Amino acid sequence: MRDTDRAHSSVGDTEVVLEARGLVKDYRRARAVDGVGITVHAGERVALLGPNGAGKTTTLFMILGVVAPDEGSVEILGRSLERHRSRAAEQVGFAAGYLPLTERMRVREYLRMFGQIYGLVDPTAQIEAGLERFRISHLAGAMGTELSSGQRTLVGIVRATLHRPRLLVLDEPTASLDPDVAMRVRTGLREISEEEGTALLVTSHDMSEVGRLCERVVFLSQGRVVADGTPEQVARDHGSGDLEGVFLPARGAPRGDRRPTDGPPDMSTTANVEPTTPVLLAGPAASWLRMRAIAPSRLRPDS
Amino acid sequence: MLLFGSIAAYVGTGDASGGRQASGYLLAGIILWHVIYQSQIAVSTGLLEETWTRNILNVMVTPVREVEYVGGVALFGMVKLAIGVSVMTISALAFFSFDVSELGIGLVPIGAVLLVVGWAISFFVMGLVLRFGSGAEALAWGVMFVVMPLSGVFYPIDALPGVLQPVAKVLPTTPAFEALRGLVDGDPLDWGLLAWSAAGAVALVALSAAFLVRMLAVFRRRGYITRYT
Repeated sequence: MRDTDRAHSSVGDTEVVLEARGLVKDYRRARAVDGVGITVHAGERVALLGPNGAGKTTTLFMILGVVAPDEGSVEILGRSLERHRSRAAEQVGFAAGYLPLTERMRVREYLRMFGQIYGLVDPTAQIEAGLERFRISHLAGAMGTELSSGQRTLVGIVRATLHRPRLLVLDEPTASLDPDVAMRVRTGLREISEEEGTALLVTSHDMSEVGRLCERVVFLSQGRVVADGTPEQVARDHGSGDLEGVFLPARGAPRGDRRPTDGPPDMSTTANVEPTTPVLLAGPAASWLRMRAIAPSRLRPDS
Repeated sequence: MLLFGSIAAYVGTGDASGGRQASGYLLAGIILWHVIYQSQIAVSTGLLEETWTRNILNVMVTPVREVEYVGGVALFGMVKLAIGVSVMTISALAFFSFDVSELGIGLVPIGAVLLVVGWAISFFVMGLVLRFGSGAEALAWGVMFVVMPLSGVFYPIDALPGVLQPVAKVLPTTPAFEALRGLVDGDPLDWGLLAWSAAGAVALVALSAAFLVRMLAVFRRRGYITRYT
């Protein structure tokens, strides 16, 4: 049995929390997401990986309902996001290092406000448990302005988990954290997933983190899903010993490439550029060229 | 209040009857103008503050519905409005011996219509901010200074240049302020003018709400959230 099959069969009988089908998003300059489909089951921990410009954040934003797909659909626990966004959003938590905290509130007040937005009449117990889980109880009385960026990230994760979401979406959750704090976050997230059956959908550039936190990897490149399976399988299909190697496409796209069409060769892509890259371009220069090759353009609108 | 009150005091020292009438127009006009101005600013800046603090993504991923958000901001704005109008009313009485309550209960429906028009204008501004981003922020303040002279806040619109009078006549604020001047003159409330103003306000709200919904759809479709992440 393939690793992918094992990964899916282990959750095959559990509830589907997220069902995204055929997501397509065009911006003025390019197609950011090109037919992405992701199914996530209860309790599953899924990493959404890919180089800059691969369409990860756009995909997350479509799953969160803040960007409307041009084609395709998103369902959260069977509810269409397009028609029942508010009800679907009740089941989702979202945290990202770039999300701000309200500066003129204390952490406890901020968490209380968000808890109540999610329907918790008195979220005191959930706030205390969340702060304790991530070992930041001492920050409860701090003002938003007094927190470091790492502490703000931790508070943001607590906020996202207050209402016990069925799906927790995390965009680069440990990007600004020290290694020990990042480990604390991973431990906390694993606990939430295992104890409460919360499904995780995580983007990260830290491959070691992905390997330790997630049991499944969905790899995006140029807006398409090019690999989907366990971290080991994705690495193996790419001909690499680990996920780090998937970012360095010296051997072309992973064998699990699921591109729907075979169009004319794109001279900006890795497969065409990489063979001509001088071998002696070592170190940062080579890495930069490789990243440029796999992510030829930034796909943000109007940025 | 201090500026317009002082102008009113100066004008009032001129011709005995006309001067007093003009000073009444100025003082009542600026207090009621504050209703529309504050209601518009409060709602518009509610969204703008979310963009300034880059908090808009936080808001948009919550289950809060768009109508709930706008309603909450408008409700909060009414608190600020109540405080602002109270300060102005007390200032007018303390500094210029102008008791706006002497104009009678007719002030309440006029104020209500102006409140609704303020919300309608704010919906247009919010829609433009969603569509054009920070480039449209100046409209939050600037648009009211276009509406103000055209609405005949302090004078009958006959005083406007002829070419602008047709524009003034279609604004729902114009009959409201005309009805206010009637109260200053000691006349009973002109319900006909008020009904005309209210109908215009309702139409404007419907139009602006549709515009806001449309711009929100454009915001989502074009992925403008990335401006604030």
